Amino acid sequence: MRHLLSLFVCTLVLAGCTPETRNIDTINDPGKPVMGLDYRDFDQAASRMIQSLLGSGTLTKQGGGRYVVATGRVINDTMQRIDTAQLMAKIEQDLMNSGKVVMTSAVGGQTATSDSLIYDVRDIRDSDHADEFNADTLQAKGQLIAPELSISGKIIQRNIRYDNNRQQVEYYFQLQLTDLTTGLRFWQNETVIGKRGSNKSVSW
Amino acid sequence: MKITLNILLGVVTLCASSCYQPHDERVNLQQGLRSDSLGSNIIVRPVGQVWSALIGEGIEVKRITSWTNKDGFMELEVRGYNKAHGTKRFQYRVEWLDGSGGVIGSKATAWLQNSAMGKSPWTIHAVAPGKNAADFKINTRKIKN
Repeated sequence: MRHLLSLFVCTLVLAGCTPETRNIDTINDPGKPVMGLDYRDFDQAASRMIQSLLGSGTLTKQGGGRYVVATGRVINDTMQRIDTAQLMAKIEQDLMNSGKVVMTSAVGGQTATSDSLIYDVRDIRDSDHADEFNADTLQAKGQLIAPELSISGKIIQRNIRYDNNRQQVEYYFQLQLTDLTTGLRFWQNETVIGKRGSNKSVSW
Repeated sequence: MKITLNILLGVVTLCASSCYQPHDERVNLQQGLRSDSLGSNIIVRPVGQVWSALIGEGIEVKRITSWTNKDGFMELEVRGYNKAHGTKRFQYRVEWLDGSGGVIGSKATAWLQNSAMGKSPWTIHAVAPGKNAADFKINTRKIKN
């Protein structure tokens, strides 16, 4: 009976020790770094890329106006399931807010940044269902604006054995801006985020 | 014997200090790399390090410069100096303000890492996310690990 009571009390105590769920303070998160990529790493990489691009002077269009930019392929060469659109969304948002660039949803290397509805409404226009719509509201041909520049890149991961107990994981964020007319690359940048931790930690 | 030892110690210190030659300040030579001086040698250095830790020396800001680049974006540069003997790792976050003092929301406003080696200068450089940036605020925090 005594053993049963002790077991019951222990179970109650252990249950009370379960860490409670809390919202992360994303503005001033004092949490420890992790071996994988978390939102703070994406924020840091995006911030450095944005500042590099805006400070390079590449986005100033001769004759004034804004460049039409498409998001090309951003390759995830890491062991983690990263939605690269997550990184690009931060960069695209600031690029548009800068007033130098307008992003296009008509063309893109990633499905997340393009809008299939652009072509769906054109399919409707060219189909038998077009009669159902007010002809004046259907999209006319030759309206889409082709992109002038494309931004693409890669996220690379390298795992290195630091010593018997620790490993080092390096994440390389690479982005480049290409002129789609000439194929010339006008801007390129790489940001490295390095982590060093226990061999027992996983980075996937 | 004691007097002889003290004299010898003094001579060694003087010799060590005479080896130090002042150089161009644009090149920062760390302790242990450059020649010793009266203020930095094998005898004085440990005392200096303990005293520095005791009085809590840290990083300081020397100069802040801001300008508008040719694309119309505000850029800023913060130059400082780490008075401590050890490397100070910290994070900084630049908040950009518009003409009326309002915060400009931007993904570029993120905590970024920086570090300052002991007894060395450090620099922060940032570019505003929009042409409406008129001022800025920088917040810093120490990296715990």
